[in-house]
Amino acid sequence: MQIHIKGLLVITGNYGSGKTETALNLAFNRKEAGIDVAIADLDLVNPYFRTREIRKSLGEAGVKVILPEEKYMHADLPILAPEVAGIIRQPSELLILDAGGDDVGVTVLAALGDALSRQTVNMIQVINPFRPFTDNVEGCLKIMREIEQRSKLKMTGLVSNSNMMEHTSPDDIYRGYELICKVSQQSGIRIEFITADTRLIPMLDMNRFECPVLPIKRRLAFPWN
Amino acid sequence: MAKVLMKGNEAIGEAAIRAGCLNYFAYPITPQSEVAEYLSKRLPEVNGVFVQGESEVAVGYMIFGAAACGERVMTTSSSPGVSLMSEAISYIAGARCPAVFVNIVRGGPGLGGILPSQGDYFQATKGGGHGDYHMLVMAPDGVQEAVEMTMKAFPLAEKYRGPVMILGDGLIGQMMEPVEFPDDLYVEPTNKDDWATNGMERRGSSTKNIVKSLYLDPATLNNHNLLLKSQYEQMKREEVRFESYNTDTDYELLIVSYGTMSRVCKTAIDNLKAEGLEIGMVRPQTLFPFPEKAIHDAAAKESCKHVVSIEMSMGQMVEDVERSVKGKKEVTWFGQCGGEVPTPEAVMEHIQTLLNQNQ
Repeated sequence: MQIHIKGLLVITGNYGSGKTETALNLAFNRKEAGIDVAIADLDLVNPYFRTREIRKSLGEAGVKVILPEEKYMHADLPILAPEVAGIIRQPSELLILDAGGDDVGVTVLAALGDALSRQTVNMIQVINPFRPFTDNVEGCLKIMREIEQRSKLKMTGLVSNSNMMEHTSPDDIYRGYELICKVSQQSGIRIEFITADTRLIPMLDMNRFECPVLPIKRRLAFPWN
Repeated sequence: MAKVLMKGNEAIGEAAIRAGCLNYFAYPITPQSEVAEYLSKRLPEVNGVFVQGESEVAVGYMIFGAAACGERVMTTSSSPGVSLMSEAISYIAGARCPAVFVNIVRGGPGLGGILPSQGDYFQATKGGGHGDYHMLVMAPDGVQEAVEMTMKAFPLAEKYRGPVMILGDGLIGQMMEPVEFPDDLYVEPTNKDDWATNGMERRGSSTKNIVKSLYLDPATLNNHNLLLKSQYEQMKREEVRFESYNTDTDYELLIVSYGTMSRVCKTAIDNLKAEGLEIGMVRPQTLFPFPEKAIHDAAAKESCKHVVSIEMSMGQMVEDVERSVKGKKEVTWFGQCGGEVPTPEAVMEHIQTLLNQNQ
């Protein structure tokens, strides 16, 4: 099954759900599939492990990257690159907006409301069942409501990013898929895709999934790896 | 409890709750703010108290107040915030109150930057505040150890009736790792009736407990300091913790490093081992008390030609390493500041250079 997402895509989710890793891997994956991809770092919340840390390899892969100015690379200031509103008005084939975590992280989207209101917006919620507050359906639905309220946008898709770092097993991937199936049933929001580390892909029974699987290669590594 | 994936900052918050700490006061600062964010959600669920102070100075004295009442209490901050709290830490040590301080260190001096650093080693281990006092300082190398150390910090603070610090560089707070919390969660508080201002009526006593750090009589103050000194000596006997890595080999060089830096060094040691070169490491888990004997003995090994202290600071721990090695082997420093963590390759290259010089 192929990932079909195109147009304007906002990636949201609770803090630490793996939004940025999902966004980066989706950007590389879609670029390789021949799609014109741009990615904008809207994370005004998280001080470390941000899209801006791998701007070089994104650029080399031909992904257009919209970031705050280089001199603010390591600032913990809520800077929104001014070109973001412009690119939303004229998006590439796939424009990924990597938002910050929780409802707080998507507040910035409301500020872009004018630009977003003229576009069809896809907004996906990334869920990692191993993170606090989203290990159950109620927790996922709560954060979904909070994100929708703050961003003034509707959630359109779900992504399971079941992740325990190098300890992730195929069963963990199935568990994440089962959780978003339930979230999908209760909310009526469709499952967009699930993610799995490239190492796990050969071990997975793909027949268990009724959605595409995005292979994940960790991009924001620890300094000792 | 099953494993969960947590940021170090979140895990420290959860660990405090599970150690029976229901009082948390803090002021936000990068890269530690997630502790406050997490506990502002979690503490109300367990009938705990979270107050965001108007500054770190205020927070320091909120901690003093709660600790004087015999409550389990914690704050978290990062470097500039800990500087502001240092006055209160000295008062808390002087007044002999148990309290837990967490410093998720960022680059300095001054405002510095928001990236990881180990530049607060001196501040944590040699004072920070005024007067003859020490804190017991523990330095985790990952999220799981941050949980264990945070949970241990409370009973240790009560054992010695003083401040205990968890010192983690920014990465320890920001990185995510799978973590497991022990099932046996709540550690019963010690009996604080003999000193805490927890109410005469409540403890059925007719004597007031007074918590203070003021001793105007010189002989009394001297005795008070001697008591504190005897406690620091007891810490040196009973609380030293360290990890030895690859020290069962005939290593040619000994690394001393802690926290995030020690994980980079482990990768470097593994890589060099694959190339046929043996390097040993002692990783202090307590920075005060410092594992002097372990480092002394490891440096004394005949095969060991050189000792290097590798730090994300400009040569702070190296002074304690030199003090431990007592001139038996040459001790030097290697490190980097500003937020970029030295890579395993940089460490390997430096080790090769040192060994070539020692040939």
